[in-house]
Amino acid sequence: MSMNIFGAEATEEKAENARLSSFVGALALGDLVKSTLGPKGMNKILQSASTGEINVTNDGATILKAIQLDNAAAKILVNISKVQDDEVGDGTTSVCVLAAELLRGAEKLIAQRIHPQTIIEGYRIASAAALTALEKSAVDNSADPVKFRQDLVNIARTTLSSKVLSQDKDYFSNLAVDAVLRLKGSTDLDHIQVIKKVGGKLTDSYLDEGFVLDKSIGVDSPKRLENAKILIANTSMDTDKIKIFGARVKVDSTGKLAELERAEREKMKAKVEAIAAHGINVFVNRQLIYNYPESLLAEKGILTIEHADFEGVERLSLVTGGEIASTFDRPDLVKLGHCDLIEEIIIGEDKLIKFSGVAAGEACTVVLRGSTHQMVDEAERSLHDALSVLSQTVKETRVTLGGGCAEMLMSCAVDNEAKRVLGKKAIAVEAFSHALRQLPTILADNAGYDSSDLVSRLRAAHYDGRSDAGLDMNQGTIGSMRKLGITESYKLKRQVVLSASEAAEMILRVDDILRATPRKREAV
Amino acid sequence: MTTLAATPAPAKSGSNAAFNDKGKPMEVRLSNMVAAKAISDAVRTSLGPRGMDKMIQTSKGEVIVTNDGATILRSIQALHPAAKMLVDLSAAQDVEAGDGTTSVVVLAGSLLGGAEKMLNKGIHPTIIAESFLKASVKAVEYLTEISVPINLDDNAALLRAATTSLNSKIVSQYSSTLAPIAVQAVRRLVTQTSSNVDLRDIRIVKKVGGTIEDTELVEGVVLNQNVVVSAGGPTRVEKAKIGLIQFQLSAPKPDMDNTVIINDYRQMDKVIKEGRQYLLNMFKKIKKTGCNALLIQKSILRDAVDETALSFLKKLNILVVKDVERDEIEFLSKSLGCKPIADIEAFTEDKLGYAELVEETSDSGPKVVKITGVKHKGKTVSILAMGSNNLVLEECERSLHDALCVVRCLVKKRALIAGGGSPEIHVSRLLANYAHSLKGMEAYCFQAYADALEVIPTTLAENAGLNPIAIVTELRNRHALGERNAGINVRTGLISNILDEDVVQPLLVSTSAIELATETICLLLKIDDYVQAR
Repeated sequence: MSMNIFGAEATEEKAENARLSSFVGALALGDLVKSTLGPKGMNKILQSASTGEINVTNDGATILKAIQLDNAAAKILVNISKVQDDEVGDGTTSVCVLAAELLRGAEKLIAQRIHPQTIIEGYRIASAAALTALEKSAVDNSADPVKFRQDLVNIARTTLSSKVLSQDKDYFSNLAVDAVLRLKGSTDLDHIQVIKKVGGKLTDSYLDEGFVLDKSIGVDSPKRLENAKILIANTSMDTDKIKIFGARVKVDSTGKLAELERAEREKMKAKVEAIAAHGINVFVNRQLIYNYPESLLAEKGILTIEHADFEGVERLSLVTGGEIASTFDRPDLVKLGHCDLIEEIIIGEDKLIKFSGVAAGEACTVVLRGSTHQMVDEAERSLHDALSVLSQTVKETRVTLGGGCAEMLMSCAVDNEAKRVLGKKAIAVEAFSHALRQLPTILADNAGYDSSDLVSRLRAAHYDGRSDAGLDMNQGTIGSMRKLGITESYKLKRQVVLSASEAAEMILRVDDILRATPRKREAV
Repeated sequence: MTTLAATPAPAKSGSNAAFNDKGKPMEVRLSNMVAAKAISDAVRTSLGPRGMDKMIQTSKGEVIVTNDGATILRSIQALHPAAKMLVDLSAAQDVEAGDGTTSVVVLAGSLLGGAEKMLNKGIHPTIIAESFLKASVKAVEYLTEISVPINLDDNAALLRAATTSLNSKIVSQYSSTLAPIAVQAVRRLVTQTSSNVDLRDIRIVKKVGGTIEDTELVEGVVLNQNVVVSAGGPTRVEKAKIGLIQFQLSAPKPDMDNTVIINDYRQMDKVIKEGRQYLLNMFKKIKKTGCNALLIQKSILRDAVDETALSFLKKLNILVVKDVERDEIEFLSKSLGCKPIADIEAFTEDKLGYAELVEETSDSGPKVVKITGVKHKGKTVSILAMGSNNLVLEECERSLHDALCVVRCLVKKRALIAGGGSPEIHVSRLLANYAHSLKGMEAYCFQAYADALEVIPTTLAENAGLNPIAIVTELRNRHALGERNAGINVRTGLISNILDEDVVQPLLVSTSAIELATETICLLLKIDDYVQAR
């Protein structure tokens, strides 16, 4: 007689089965995203099941985030790609693909009756060797500003060439580098605002210094103002209501009602006076500004902007250096924001407000234009990837080479290491090097080239001592990545190898999957 | 996800990876193309002066009759992702150029057809995409080359462009009425240096009644609202002093909850008396400024103006218009040179606007309030659009909007090119020639791009009931003989010098159509999978 150890519907998968299901899940995920890898990578359409909204993207993290999964191992891969996105911002596909390839290698080894722990040991040795080789190959040009800038431009070009912006990568890489250099070493991308407007073509996008707010200036206010002193507020500008629920006034005549109305107006007027007492000429409120206070403020020559949402107010406070105020009794305690010029600009068919010459010099705005929503959304993601990689590179200035060069370099180093390893581990070390070689293979596959031929040539080149050899994806040949300027951030590559091997290890260790009883949903 | 888990892990080594597993991407690509082409076929017949109209029944049961590509596509409830992108494409063209919304989609469909042939030849989609983008840059270059720069003072040239745009609309027989209106409206707003026009400064007021011929550009301002005449107030005021008020002429109502408690009947009289007194005080202040026309903003909380106030207003001989929307305030205050007044205390003479005449007329059918002879007039334009029924009126407005956009395009980029399919043939021919100088797969793609451009003249001819092959080949032939301006004359059904026929269009409409269509196609081409997301 069988006994129920687990609750109803809770399941357990053991040893072989557990491993098989992890492998299947992880490999399927790896295969799903691998076609997006590299400059000739393809896009995917993501259609939301609930809203029907569509997204076109080749950003690994975006794809992985969007799909629904019911496989524990696959979820781990999604997580590492998310971490990669947070840490470095790019390489989200690479990390997932590398982890999947490592698992593919491990699957074969397990079929050869090698214990998972032995594989893990081998992978550890291999990843250490790979990272040492990578570090050795990394170049640091931060001492020379001209060279460093060139490095940054190259990194941006490499990142963007695998995205939708690839056609205009020169334009956008310069744009991204300019934006990041304005940050002066900070990695806070909040200073870079991206505004998306449909219409126009991609190259109509531009970088503008200052800050752009997607709101309109109040009625009867000046449309252009120099030397602005800005008070940023979050306060209700309808009437100062007594905020006690159910408070009501009882009167016995219309005249008293009129007095009450007058009193409310006076109160509002007093509030406006208090605001004006700050010596400002611009008043930005998160909430609505009603007609009456608006006209009072306009009379005092104060430019009003109403209904600037939370994000707008916060960014504005960040870039202009003003604090968000909600009481106005102590003008001396409120920090005002400053900017040299406020004006209305037209982008496409919309009017926006531009603040230029703001206190925080690093602030800038990128206006993205494109033919469809999908286009500008994808452009934003691409640009965001480039910006975050660049800002990380400014911090960790070492760079390495792309185009499959760094992977091949590591693979060779791991191969060499394998020769020195004793015991079965050596086979696992070799498998690691094979997995690393898969990345250039996929790059070539995606471009429709003969991958086996190209990759073997690439390996030969590396053994010949041409340590800067990589895949030239435009010609379909082996070329010097240093000459082509295909550069990648060292931190990015290191993170890819680190997270991928860690994730693979973690999945390998699993020999039992327990699934809790799914939570019961009420019938709809 | 079951499909994911069920996918067998293909145990492939690097050796033969290049040769398998390419079935699904092709399938996805083809499905995208089929969907996109279906969309482009749906609007194809409405291209050009002999294009047909579509009747659209919306989900609310409204009926729209139009041949404006953007409007048609907006109403189609496209489900397929690729189809949705084409709808977006047409909307983007609407924003950028305002006209050519049909052409851009037709062009995109044709480019996809070309790309499909290239795919079948086994060319990698990214190479097709890159070559197409390069070809589009080249095409824009060729277009710019044949364009004729114009001066904004050249009224005739602007008129020709506006007329060409209007000729392809339902209201084409009225193009002689509407084109001058569009041109004048934009010209009033621009200066020699301006590089854009904010079309929100042009207000189109729609009134059912009369015919489209009665549509006019008003010297002054037209209001959407009518005069309140229920108490017998005036409908015509000369030498008007206009107040634009944002407060209400009715019994006081504070924002706090309140109750008026009446204990006995004598208090009733008091309440009524005080109410009258309250209004009277207001009107005293209004009277003092000499104001004799009031525009009152709509209020949800209380009556904008009540019966008592109306009878006072009649006694004071003040014209009243109520229900002015809040977003109209900016436009009105700009065009009337007055300032909005939010409180009775602030009601002073300097905030009023002056006009020679405020009058509600019914010359051409419906009652319309016109304000003419405005002093301190801001840079705004009002157009009074008329039509015999709502459908015609809506279409008239859309056409007028397109015509305005065409003129605006000329302000943005001051150059004209010929119409009638002539520029497309020209570019197609030059691109094909250029393709011969290339080698490799690019050459094929350029050729395909050049062929795809011919869809515009072909469709023009098809829609006009001509033989497309005969017409397009003759057109090509004429161009090869050096007649750069030869185009399809739809009226006569022959090839002629299209510039002599005054068929011209702004350069920006064509270049933006080519650029936007190519950009979208390239994004579509690079798609190889379709993932159902959360």
